[in-house]
Amino acid sequence: MAEQFDLVVVGAGPAGLTAAIYGARARLRTIVLDEGMPGGQVKTTHKVSNYPGFPEDVKGAELAGLFAKQAERFGARIARAVEITKMDLASREKSFVLDEDEEIRGRAVIVATGAKPRALGIPGEDTFRGRGISYCATCDGAYFEGKDIHVIGGGNSAVEESLFLTQFARSVTIIHQFDEFQAEPATAKEALENPKIKVMWSHEPRAFLGETALQKLRVENLKAKQTSRVGSPPAPPAADHRGRVWEPSEGSHIIDLDTDGVFVFVGMVPRTELLKGVVPLDRWGCVETDDSMQTSVPGLFVAGDIRAKKFRQITTAVADGTIAALAAQKYLREVR
Amino acid sequence: MSENVREIQAAQYEAEVLAAPEPVVLDFFSTECPPCEALAPKFEAVADQFKGRVRFLKIFRQGNRDLAAKLAVTSSPTLLFYKGGKEVGSRLTGDIKRSEIKQTVEAMLA
Repeated sequence: MAEQFDLVVVGAGPAGLTAAIYGARARLRTIVLDEGMPGGQVKTTHKVSNYPGFPEDVKGAELAGLFAKQAERFGARIARAVEITKMDLASREKSFVLDEDEEIRGRAVIVATGAKPRALGIPGEDTFRGRGISYCATCDGAYFEGKDIHVIGGGNSAVEESLFLTQFARSVTIIHQFDEFQAEPATAKEALENPKIKVMWSHEPRAFLGETALQKLRVENLKAKQTSRVGSPPAPPAADHRGRVWEPSEGSHIIDLDTDGVFVFVGMVPRTELLKGVVPLDRWGCVETDDSMQTSVPGLFVAGDIRAKKFRQITTAVADGTIAALAAQKYLREVR
Repeated sequence: MSENVREIQAAQYEAEVLAAPEPVVLDFFSTECPPCEALAPKFEAVADQFKGRVRFLKIFRQGNRDLAAKLAVTSSPTLLFYKGGKEVGSRLTGDIKRSEIKQTVEAMLA
C-alpha cells in the first residue's frame, strides 16, 4: 500500500528543505527525498559567509544540518539516501518508487534537485577521478598536507575552496581561463593576498596525465596561443597583481605541470534527469517556471538551482523553496 | 552498522581482501565527508542483499593513508571491487548511487 503525502519534495538542499519547512508548518503531510544526506551543495561548502543571520560565518555542513533539523521539527519526514527508481509526475496524483521497493504518492511535488559539479570533459578526467582529481575540498583536502596542488576555476567556489585548501597544502596554484577572478571581490582579494596561492591567468586545462595515479596536469597558455597564431612576439609571462611571475617553458604554449592533486570547480550543471520528457528544459538543461515556481504540469513545481534564472545562491534557493511551497499550498486548496 | 559490513585495517588487507574466497567490495571512507555519510546506508543495504556471496568491507582512509596511497585512492569515498585477489571493474567515487553498487557487484558475479 503506497504511503500518501500532500507534498513530496525531491532534493534536500536549501530549496527543498525550505519548501519542507513551509509545507510542514502549513500542516501538509510532507516528505523530502534525497539520494544522499540533507544539505545539497551547502554541506560540502567549508564556510558560508553570505547567508544572513550568521555574522561570524557558518560551516556549510552545520548550516545544512540546521535546515534539516528545522524541517523535521515541524513534522516533515526526510528520507535519506534513497534513490527514485520509478516515478510518474505527469498524472494528477504523482507517484514514486524508492529503491525498487517502497511506493509513495503525492498530490503536489516540488523538484529541487539542484546542480552537481561540472566535469571539464578533457582527456584523463574519467581515468583519474578519485586517483588525483577531486571535486570536493572538504572530503579530500586534509590528505594534501604539505603537497603542491592545483585548482581549476575562478568563480566563488574555486577561490573559496582554494583558500580552504591552503590550510593543508604547501601551495595551491589556481588555473583560470580569464585574467581576473569571477569570484566576489572580497574573496578574490583574500586569495591574491594569500602567500600559498599562485594564479596562472589565461590558462586552460587540456589533459590529465599519469600512470596509475595522476602525475601531471597539461595546461595551455591562451595568450601565448593567440600571439603565436598571428606571428607577433610571444606573450609576456602571466603575472598576478602582486607581480609574481610565472614563466612558461620556452617556445611552447602547452605545459605539463607536476601536481599532487587537482581540484575542479568550474561551475555546476542542473540535475534535471528526473524531469526529462516531463517538462521542457532550456538549452542549459534548466526548467522554466512562472514566478510562482509552477511548471507546465499541474501540481509540479521546481525550486532552486535547477530553475532557469540568473543567480544561484543559497539565499535565492531558499526564496524559491518558500515560493514553491506557498504556491503548492494554494494549488492543493484549489484542486481539493 | 549492518552485520554484513566489517571494518578492516591496512594490516588485514592481504588476508581479508586479496585472499578472500568470495568477491570483495572495499570502501575507503573519511570523516567530514558528506558523500561518505550518504554512502554508508546504501553500502549496508547492498551488503545485506548479497549476504554470503560477496564480502563488504570498509577502511578508514585517514587511519590507513599508506595503503590508500599505494592503491592510488585520493578521493573519499572510493569503492574498489576485487575478485580472486585482483581488482576488477571500475572504481566508484563521489556521489555513488545504490543501483550503481548493485550493478557493479552483479557484473562481478556474472
